[in-house]
Amino acid sequence: MIQIFNLYKTYKGNTQALIDISLEIKSGEFVFLTGQSGAGKSTLLKILYSWENFDKGQILINGINIAKIREDNQYTLRRKIGVVFQDYRLLPRKTVFENISFAQEAVESPSERIRFKTWEALKKVGLTQKKDSFPLQLAGGEQQRVAIARALVNSPEILLADEPTGNLDPEIALEILKLFEHANSQGVTVIFATHSAEMLKARDYRVINLGKGRLISTK
Amino acid sequence: MKLLTRAFRIAFSNIKSSIDVCAVSVITIMVAFSILELFLLVFANLNSLVETWNKQVQLIVYLDDSVSKKDQSTLENLIANNKNVQATSFVSKGQAWTDFKKTFSDKAAILNSLGFNPLPASLRLQFSYSSDRLKAIQKFAKTLEAQNGVESVEYGKSWILKFETFLAFLRLFLLAVGGLLIVGLILIISNTIKLSIYSRKEEIQLMALLGARPNFIKWPFLMEGMLQALVGALLSLGVIKIVYLYMKVQFQDSMASLFRGIYIQFIPDSFAIYILAGSLFSGWLGSYISINRFLKSELK
Ligand SMILES: Nc1ncnc2c1ncn2[C@@H]1O[C@H](COP(=O)(O)OP(=O)(O)O)[C@@H](O)[C@H]1O
Ligand SMILES: [Mg+2]
Repeated sequence: MIQIFNLYKTYKGNTQALIDISLEIKSGEFVFLTGQSGAGKSTLLKILYSWENFDKGQILINGINIAKIREDNQYTLRRKIGVVFQDYRLLPRKTVFENISFAQEAVESPSERIRFKTWEALKKVGLTQKKDSFPLQLAGGEQQRVAIARALVNSPEILLADEPTGNLDPEIALEILKLFEHANSQGVTVIFATHSAEMLKARDYRVINLGKGRLISTK
Repeated sequence: MKLLTRAFRIAFSNIKSSIDVCAVSVITIMVAFSILELFLLVFANLNSLVETWNKQVQLIVYLDDSVSKKDQSTLENLIANNKNVQATSFVSKGQAWTDFKKTFSDKAAILNSLGFNPLPASLRLQFSYSSDRLKAIQKFAKTLEAQNGVESVEYGKSWILKFETFLAFLRLFLLAVGGLLIVGLILIISNTIKLSIYSRKEEIQLMALLGARPNFIKWPFLMEGMLQALVGALLSLGVIKIVYLYMKVQFQDSMASLFRGIYIQFIPDSFAIYILAGSLFSGWLGSYISINRFLKSELK
């Protein structure tokens, strides 16, 4: 469960990115996070995985106050959270297989398990044939599949997606959405940021709508 | 342990992939250390020279020919009670004369024609070794000189004291140079490692994002810095060894004829160990500064 109480965030240079945000997301829920460009979607997600700090307010993730986590221990929070970006963030000099293994090496998974789990993750996103390709040899949708496989391979409780379909054609975007839904059906909480109206129309999930840093609606 | 072996492996591959940058940094480190070690080499040899002389220093107390039994035993008591005196030997008038004649046997005729023995009896004191033994000798000499029955005292080479002062100064100088060098080294390493960090910026960001422990991210870079500094220091020791061997071949014979019992020697093992330890420390600290700064401020 994610609980946010009266959250404020101001960037250097006095941009008020988030103003008095309070909301709650239940475990296992799938929510869309929407709002125009600059509304504060990315900022909110970054705060959730401790990539940005915030000025005021409180955030509890499964009851843990994330502002109280020491910097050296932030990794424990990040291990519970998988993140997917609009620009994929794959390592260009590693193969698909290595990119997914990399995520497990980073959390020091036992090496015997890495090959097996990488293979499983590739199967889940339907990319087993491309395991030895390099990211730039893949189409955008395929690269995003790799990024999703990487985010899921360490079995996170929460999946944050920052406009993961922003660069993709609508049909392919829908395929990607289905991968998130599949993860959600396994119990993963999903926060899916998007400003695409088609995406929102395609599904009937709860919509958290931000506008200029303020919470406009949560339905 | 697993963390370190992995760090070592990654550091090694990092170095391999930016071999030119690393080579420049290793060579800079090597040159800097070589200069320090050259000073150390000179210092170590001067030091051992002084020590050799030091061992030969003895205090000779010449006795009046007319010294009374009582005065002589007072004198001997005084010497026996001095903790710094290691050994005493008595050289009688007759013994001194025989020794003297032996040394100048070619002039035996003249000496024999003298008809009497001009040499005084003497006590020769050896002092146990300590850093301030020259001062102890000086002080004791003053005391003895004032005693009845003492004609004069002699402790050769009082200029050793001045030389020792010079060496003490040189030691300070070396410490200062060493300190500066360490600071320079830390800067060089931190800069090289910064380059290495920036060339892997995305990878580091991603690792942090995926939930890697800070130590897991840091150690490969710490290892890289330590390896570079260590290799630089080892190479410099190699260079200085070659310089030493060259000096030995060139100068050992002439040195040995000038000063008996003097051998040109290499930097003592303890110094070499300090140098290696110092290189590891500065390698570690230099990289630590860079990677910490990166993780704290430039990650996001
Ligand atoms: N690192 C940053 N420094 C300063 N301002 C920022 C930074 N990141 C985002 N902003 C500003 O904060 C506001 C919200 O940005 P963002 O969260 O990226 O919005 P969204 O993801 O909804 O497009 C914008 O006005 C943006 O310009
Ligand atoms: Mg954004």
